[in-house]
Amino acid sequence: MKNIYKPTEAIIEGIITESPNIKTFVLRPKVPFEFKTGQFIELTLPGIGEAPFTPSSDPNIKDKMDITIMKAGEITSLLHGIQPNTPVGIRGPYGLGYPLDKFTGKDILIVGGGVGLAPLRSLLFALFGSMDKYNKVVLRYGSRTANDIIYKGLIPEWAKLDKVNMMVTVDVGDPSWSGNVGLVTTILKDLPVDLNNAAVIVCGPPIMMKFVTLKLLDLGFKPPDIYLSMEKSMSCGLGKCGHCRIGPYYVCKDGPVFTYEQLKDLHDIWD
Amino acid sequence: MIKIFYIKDKDLPFLINSLCADYKVFSPLIKEIEGEKTDYSYNRLFKGDIPRFSAYRAVEPLKTFFTSPLEKVSGYFKEGVNFREPEKIVIFGVKSCDIQGHKVQDFVFLEGQEKDSLYRARRENTVLISGDCTDFKNVCHCLAWEVLPHPTVGFDLNLSPLNDGYIVESGSDRGEAFIQRYKDYFVPAKETQVLARKAKRESFIERLRKHLLPQGLVSKAEVQRLMKDGYSADTWQKFMLTCVECAGCNLICDTCHCFLLSDEKDRDEFSRLKGWDCCQYTNFSRVAGGANPLKTRTQRLRNRFIKKFDFFIDNMGIPACCGCGRCIEVCPGKIDIREVLKDVKDKVSRNK
Repeated sequence: MKNIYKPTEAIIEGIITESPNIKTFVLRPKVPFEFKTGQFIELTLPGIGEAPFTPSSDPNIKDKMDITIMKAGEITSLLHGIQPNTPVGIRGPYGLGYPLDKFTGKDILIVGGGVGLAPLRSLLFALFGSMDKYNKVVLRYGSRTANDIIYKGLIPEWAKLDKVNMMVTVDVGDPSWSGNVGLVTTILKDLPVDLNNAAVIVCGPPIMMKFVTLKLLDLGFKPPDIYLSMEKSMSCGLGKCGHCRIGPYYVCKDGPVFTYEQLKDLHDIWD
Repeated sequence: MIKIFYIKDKDLPFLINSLCADYKVFSPLIKEIEGEKTDYSYNRLFKGDIPRFSAYRAVEPLKTFFTSPLEKVSGYFKEGVNFREPEKIVIFGVKSCDIQGHKVQDFVFLEGQEKDSLYRARRENTVLISGDCTDFKNVCHCLAWEVLPHPTVGFDLNLSPLNDGYIVESGSDRGEAFIQRYKDYFVPAKETQVLARKAKRESFIERLRKHLLPQGLVSKAEVQRLMKDGYSADTWQKFMLTCVECAGCNLICDTCHCFLLSDEKDRDEFSRLKGWDCCQYTNFSRVAGGANPLKTRTQRLRNRFIKKFDFFIDNMGIPACCGCGRCIEVCPGKIDIREVLKDVKDKVSRNK
């Protein structure tokens, strides 16, 4: 009898400090664990509690999984304090993830904000693994300050790739930063993207997703082409506990990725 | 295969005695405590107990038999932490509203990709013996949601009182097996008895209808539209004023199913607990970092109604309300689900 609430064990093999309040945890599950990019897992700190996170690693890697976590609440703060070789629990994967088949043959625009780049990194790895299927990947990333940028080493490498166009901005500049300064919406102009053959994937804090969506609509992108990662309070991840309702959906089972078309007529989606 | 039987009142205690050997038996009972009579409340029956037919639904919702306010649902990281097979139970006195409400619980825990195995095991080990309502409480309003005061599906056996006994209808394979097993107590019902049941049911529906008609209740056909059109109505603000966030409405509700998982450590044993959660609590939808889309009581009250009358109609085709009226009785703020809906309707029609 399968117990849907029971976590299986994984060991935290490595911890990478990405920014002052963001760390990437490298997990090795004790039993093989597969996920599709954009799906999420419930991560248990044994005896303390669990919280949902979307893996930030390549979904083609089966024996390990990266999870990039910002210190935000109780569990994430405790997670930031743990040492390598700590056992944790995992359940999942849950949700539908990114519909990669719908991105085939398209110009893919990815807009990330802050730690929202974590699930997008997994998506980028998945896309880079079969770039012949896609026209191009355009990435626009905004971070609060230069110090808050995550995956610092990876971003210049991605920029060198064929068919990839990248821009990064910070909300607040400082002497160490010579790049763009301004909210991520300020680098959404003159996009090298065909409006009529685009898939736009947005992930970041709700306020950023709201203004990016409005900007994208303003630019002429169509609601069915805009994919948003929604965030709600969540407990079970299974479509049963009732916490993550948005309109007729549960974020956990019907999302966490929704098209703006699915959400546009619903109330208070950015709250 | 005959599905309708008759059991005589005087044989019922013998049936209970036989049942007590095989099952834990529960039945709603009215008790007298310090000279005051209680309402119908589920009690365990033991050998020698004489069951009483309950006229209307019990105080407790049926869900109390299948999910728990707080219980351990899993241990982890250790092999061999498994659950015993749940006990076999028989529940008497289940009413039509409970069965309707229970459809929602079944939908949540048994449908979809992932199924709650503990819930399923409890469900499979339970014989539901329902009964026609022969009376109603002031708060009863099943007919508003097109739920009849006698069960038509979803029971294993249903009892309809008639003369000096009960018509017994089997509604499932489990019910039929039950009758086979205890066949000494049952005789096939006569056609005249079945006709008499029909007449009795119709006359009770008529009585209930007369009670409900003057209330001008919102109907099943219009309720979802009202949730959409009444989203910004001041109803939510107005009725929230007396809400003390006790969440009694959630806890006592036949259909409310929300829960929260939490973890515990006792020496080296890790446990996962599952407890009922309530959308009327302040932190129901609060996320790490502090954002809370249901910050105000107004938003939370509206959330409860939208979940019941919009979300569930979209996802399941029925409202998540069975008209049992338990939430009306329990509310210290006197918030009446019928009045809230009527107020939305009133505000929506005035805005047109």
